[in-house]
Amino acid sequence: MFRTTLPRLARHLVYSAPRYQAPIARPIARSSLFQSTRITPTSTAFQAARCYSASAGLSHEEVQGRIMDLLKNFDKVQDVSKLNGESHFHNDLGLDSLDTVEVVMAIEEEFSIEIPDKEADAIHSIKQAVDYILAQPDAH
Amino acid sequence: MALAAYRHVLRAARIAFEGDFNTLMAARHQVRRNFEDNRSLASGSEELSQQISHAEEVAKFLRENVVQGQAAQDTSDRYQLRIHEHTERGDNEDIKNGKGNTLAGGNCSSS
Repeated sequence: MFRTTLPRLARHLVYSAPRYQAPIARPIARSSLFQSTRITPTSTAFQAARCYSASAGLSHEEVQGRIMDLLKNFDKVQDVSKLNGESHFHNDLGLDSLDTVEVVMAIEEEFSIEIPDKEADAIHSIKQAVDYILAQPDAH
Repeated sequence: MALAAYRHVLRAARIAFEGDFNTLMAARHQVRRNFEDNRSLASGSEELSQQISHAEEVAKFLRENVVQGQAAQDTSDRYQLRIHEHTERGDNEDIKNGKGNTLAGGNCSSS
């Protein structure tokens, strides 16, 4: 009984939370680098298929929102109140260099892209990550 | 250097343990712990470059020489393996040549 009520409760929470993203563009499987407490809603049927015909353009707000959601779920972020569009991973969020690598990897998974080493090393803040993702036509 | 190695190992673990969440998390924690252990090594030191090349070898091994297997439903003595594009596939000629690019040609890693 507990097993059935818990996902329903979680799904309800997800639906009631403000989303930054249109549901049609959701990735099918999300294996986040961080153990996320958020549960992807699976009840609606069309989410099982990825719509390749959907427009690829991601808005600035959406990208930033998804990256900030991801950082909120990262337990090594020391001060969530400092989390904003300009946050620097090390100076503001207190992440060390290995954490930064993990964050960039998680961003890769979130947007289903692979960031080459050189570019990945240059990403040190939310703003840089957002700019990089917006410049990628493959990101979704 | 070390950060790139860390990224390569994480990527390799993601390929090797795809779909196996528990093992993937365990691998990530283990990788992190090993990198933390070597955090104090001086940059440019001999041991640091050794550790980094060790990490790169681990990444290569995970990517090319680890496959996931699942016991087949009907018989217990058969396994279905998930061979992916990065899995090393040598043939008999490779083994005879022993160029060191296959497991049979040399030792698999320094450890």
